Amino acid sequence: MIATALTTVVLAVLAIGAALAVWQSRRWLAGRPATVDVVAGLRALPGRYLVDVHHVVGRTPFNARFHALVAGGFLAALALLVAMGVAIGGSRIVWLLLAVVLAAMLAGALMVRYRRRVVRPRELSQGRFARLPLSLLGFSGCLLVVALDQSLGGVMPEALALVLVALAGVALADLVWGVWKGPLKHAVHGALHLAFHPRPARFHDGAGRDTGLTPLPLAPQGDAGTGGPSALGVERPVDFAWNRLLGFDACVQCGRCETVCPAYAAGLPLNPKKLVQDLVVAMDGRASDAAYAGNPHPGRGVGKAHGGAALPLVGPGAMIHPDTLWSCTTCRACVQECPMMIEHVDAVVDLRRFQTLELGATPAKAAVMLEELRATDTPGGRALARRWDWAADLSLPRLPAGGSCDTLLWVGDGAFDLRVQRALRALVLLLRRAGVDFAVLGDEELDCGDVARRLGDEATFQSLAVRNVAALNARRFTRIVTADPHALHTLRNEYPAFGGDWTVVHHTALLLELVTGGALTVTKPVGRSVTFHDPCYLGRYNGEIEAPRALLDAIGVERREMLRAGMRSSCCGGGGGAPLTDVAGERRIPDVRMEHARETGAALVAVACPNCALMLEGVVGPRPEVAEIAELVLAATETTR
Amino acid sequence: MSSPAEALLKPLQIKHLTIRNRVMSTSHAPGYGSEGKPKERYQLYHEEKARGGIGLTMFGGSSSVAVDSPAAPWNQISVADDSVIPFFREFSDRVHRHGAALMIQLTHMGRRTRWDTENWLPTVSASAAREPAHRNTPKEMEDFDFKRIIAGYAAAARRCKEGGLDGFELSAAHGHLIDQFWSPSVNRRTDKYGGSLENRMRFGIEVFEAIRAEVGDDYVVGMRMSGDELIDDGLSHEDCIAIARTYAERGLIDFVNVLGGQARDHLAHAISLPNMSFPVAPFLHLASGIKREAGIPVFHAQRVTDLATAARAVEEGHVDMVAMTRAHIADPHLVRKLMEGRLDDVRQCVGAGYCIDRIYVGGDALCIQNAATGRERTMPHVIPKAERKRRVVVVGGGPGGLEAARVCAERGHSVVLLERNAAPGGQIGIAAKATWREAMSGITRWLSQQTIKLGVDVRLGVEADRAAIEAENPDVVILATGGRPNRGDFKGADLAVSTWDVLTGAVEPTGTVLMYDGTGQHHGASCAEFMAKRGALVEIATPDRMVAEEVGTTNQPIHLRELYKLNVMMTTNHQLVEIYQEGNRRVAVLRNEYTHEEEERLVDQIVVELGTLPNDALYFDLKDHSLNRGETDLDSLIAGRPQPVQANGHGGYTLHRIGDAVAGRNIHAAIYDAARLCKDI
Repeated sequence: MIATALTTVVLAVLAIGAALAVWQSRRWLAGRPATVDVVAGLRALPGRYLVDVHHVVGRTPFNARFHALVAGGFLAALALLVAMGVAIGGSRIVWLLLAVVLAAMLAGALMVRYRRRVVRPRELSQGRFARLPLSLLGFSGCLLVVALDQSLGGVMPEALALVLVALAGVALADLVWGVWKGPLKHAVHGALHLAFHPRPARFHDGAGRDTGLTPLPLAPQGDAGTGGPSALGVERPVDFAWNRLLGFDACVQCGRCETVCPAYAAGLPLNPKKLVQDLVVAMDGRASDAAYAGNPHPGRGVGKAHGGAALPLVGPGAMIHPDTLWSCTTCRACVQECPMMIEHVDAVVDLRRFQTLELGATPAKAAVMLEELRATDTPGGRALARRWDWAADLSLPRLPAGGSCDTLLWVGDGAFDLRVQRALRALVLLLRRAGVDFAVLGDEELDCGDVARRLGDEATFQSLAVRNVAALNARRFTRIVTADPHALHTLRNEYPAFGGDWTVVHHTALLLELVTGGALTVTKPVGRSVTFHDPCYLGRYNGEIEAPRALLDAIGVERREMLRAGMRSSCCGGGGGAPLTDVAGERRIPDVRMEHARETGAALVAVACPNCALMLEGVVGPRPEVAEIAELVLAATETTR
Repeated sequence: MSSPAEALLKPLQIKHLTIRNRVMSTSHAPGYGSEGKPKERYQLYHEEKARGGIGLTMFGGSSSVAVDSPAAPWNQISVADDSVIPFFREFSDRVHRHGAALMIQLTHMGRRTRWDTENWLPTVSASAAREPAHRNTPKEMEDFDFKRIIAGYAAAARRCKEGGLDGFELSAAHGHLIDQFWSPSVNRRTDKYGGSLENRMRFGIEVFEAIRAEVGDDYVVGMRMSGDELIDDGLSHEDCIAIARTYAERGLIDFVNVLGGQARDHLAHAISLPNMSFPVAPFLHLASGIKREAGIPVFHAQRVTDLATAARAVEEGHVDMVAMTRAHIADPHLVRKLMEGRLDDVRQCVGAGYCIDRIYVGGDALCIQNAATGRERTMPHVIPKAERKRRVVVVGGGPGGLEAARVCAERGHSVVLLERNAAPGGQIGIAAKATWREAMSGITRWLSQQTIKLGVDVRLGVEADRAAIEAENPDVVILATGGRPNRGDFKGADLAVSTWDVLTGAVEPTGTVLMYDGTGQHHGASCAEFMAKRGALVEIATPDRMVAEEVGTTNQPIHLRELYKLNVMMTTNHQLVEIYQEGNRRVAVLRNEYTHEEEERLVDQIVVELGTLPNDALYFDLKDHSLNRGETDLDSLIAGRPQPVQANGHGGYTLHRIGDAVAGRNIHAAIYDAARLCKDI
């Protein structure tokens, strides 16, 4: 009787849940078509869940434990309850087994309650999520009593047991209702998202360091998906590919992205969690963010944003305020932290593409920069020849078309900046000192297009990419070396789509090779305390966090780590065109990052990216010195003549 | 306006030569030559600029191409024979090593030199027109002179090329031989070299043609010239434009280095080397006028002391290269500092003219504020860190004390500076109150900014005594307590006030004032000018043969001009021997230095300037408590060794006294005292 009642309740509720999920799918299936290998994705699902997701979740062990207990206990209990009804029946052993898994779930639910009621992390959403501990406790607690009773032969009055079953049913219904807009939504959508992920190469079984930014087809063409006119980038929710929309639906509002977002930390109007929730809410027909119960975009309240699946996403009164969109530094800290593997940054760039390409709505200084870039192929509107002014006395060998050398030095747009010129000069002197056969492109080196692409100007990016690829392919070299991680990422990971296929190394990797190989000898160990600030585009985008550290160790620094370092480093504020869009916050992002550096007590912050050097050196007031790694290596390998 | 870096850090291509940026130093005569050669001292001086990032450094002002244009009297360079070539090679290697270009100036000075020196040959010129500045009447050049001198120019050009120099310029400025031919004020010839401008240009053209035949068209050859002689019978701006165009269009020159004015008399000379009384870049418009017409790169020097002005000159298209010659004497690393974004750290030239004034009194060029310039062999421009950190107490915030604190802080020591007054600067603060001498305060501004930046614990308004100093537990105590006015020991000396009293405002100058100047330096003349400007009727009396006799040739004419303009009566050759009271006025007794006849002046006030006496009371308080009893070991000081350590077993400190606290001298002496001692602490 009890077992039948239970199974009936569970099956009924699960059926409702399944119906809800199917109903929900209409929302994300409305997106544009996407090429997805369904079979391979489903096959890869367990691995992606057990390895990649758990790798992220496991960074906070307490959460990993309660999640394992709650989710594992819940799924096992449901499976047992269904099995009891349809196959194995309610023996005392099965009841006991059920009691064990429910006890595990109860323990997990208590941990969830402890976290939500006692620890109360700021980043957690309230609203429907506030009921979660109660539902979990209700389901697991009530059923545990019933299961224990049944395992002992059923001493409890049946009416009481049925009441408990009914209570558990209510709790279960609340949980499953969450498939619609609550906590449990992530389970269903998360699993589907893992299977149909828009960037499968990011998982352990892929090798790619890609972004999801496939080159836009710029030639005019009809839009087969919606039948409407072809638009570049994303204007409305339905302009996203369906599996991207599915990804947004996977968000469980855990707020990990919020805690790592540099813009959020500096009080710029961007909370990545809210951004994803804005996208989620906008998928509904007529939507407002009024029900959002997490932290808002700093400086902007909740309830003023309105939108819909077929309405523009970005605008002063729309779901996403332009300031929010242009606050992002594309640092990918959110992507790195998201246990649901959501691709926030690609979404931001897709939205920016529409703003820039279709509306010309790039904010002021960024628009000026793009104008200059289109006119001169340099961000500052200077002649290409002036890229080499700083090196007039270095007689840099230029590689003519058809020529060959070992190492091609890509100097990047930092060459137009005084501060960066010092680092480049140090690098050139080191290459000379080490006897590296190197050359530069000369006036054929154009801006690599990184900033244009992040600002959504795909047309300018592609124009630059095509010409740079042609210039590079006209020459022979064994590798490209650059001190600019943005150029590194673009050349290494984004130019292959345009026919560029070369070995691209960061100068820290090359210098490490030269020091360990003996081409550079450390004569004057630095001896000072140094903390290394990982560039986002070197660390998170390219996974290179070891070489700079090994290099610093090799030149004899006393290395200290910031609390946020390596793959989880925090952005300087210089990426994604953020210094140009220049959205005001409560503080400046580099000030926040410099605070992290100050906490280490290090005398010096070592940087390995032109943007980082400029942003961190722009911090006023007493602070550690900022030095580019090449400058430190140059001083440490000084040879007495 | 954009950063100075944007305009200045841009290479300039002249034929095959790439100059890495737009900042240069023009050829000048620092008096570092030895036996007519640029030896180590000369080379190190320019190497420092190359190390400091300069694009082009030109040396050897008025380097001689012929035996009748003597170089030795100015300790300058003779390119009249091949023995100079190895020195050129060594020199160019040294400068090229740092990425800078190196050029020289060649010239025949014609009548603008002395006959009674070196080879004792008569001077030559276009005509036998007397040259006032050097008091000589030249011989008019005849046919063989043309042949010999033109061949001399060409041979000297070859020596430059063989010596690895990146090029050279001929001087046709300041009244040298070529512009003696150009200028109708000198050239009265009636042959093909005189008369029309075309004829007057002929000699120079023949010189350059001979040079081109010798070194070819690829070698970089330029010309220094005036953009306007600024005299009635001289070359006008239009003449100068025509000359530059003609020489450029014939392919004779690759650049023209333009200045304003000429130098035939004292004031013209001072104007052509503008001091701090002039606005910045006063003759930029002349270079700009030539730039518009000449079609070749234009260089220009003349009081471009700051990088913002330099950048403006280039950015607005007035010139292609901007010369910051004296600016580099003050700070040879100014381009490097620009490149490193450290504009605030540039020690800016204040235009005191100390460097050039020393040359014309037969000395070597030294900077009033940078003791390392011209002393690169012994004095570092970048102070290295000391091996052991010490505690240093400096007393006195004048130039000596500030420099001592700065250098000690650069050495990495922990430094306290105690200054009695509310503001640092010492006597500079007083000197800077005198009208156009205001820019002297730049010396203090840089020094005090650097000490603060380097973390010196600067305590102003604090009177130091032994207890306060010893409470700091110092290893080294440096007393730079300066001096106080020497009021003289003649009868009635107490009835006079000092220049300090007047300039600080303690005494208001009124009525008739006698300014008695016993030093012949800036103090008396500038104080007299200050008082006259405030309405007093001033007479300046001095035992010297001329007012401001010790002031050099770029400053003294300005003093005299201003004193004349203000109707200050100048009485020379008279000693002040007595003052006595008459009513509430004073009578000064002046005795003629030569006849010993006495004259009296009845005036309202008498101001005397007799230098300073040391403030040494604190020194004698500390002396017996110090390890070294206050003695600075002079052999170690000169040899650049650390002072000997004399431990007495109780710890304690060594004591040094510098600047006017030892004996009243000048700013450079105080700064050199400080830097020379402290660089080895």
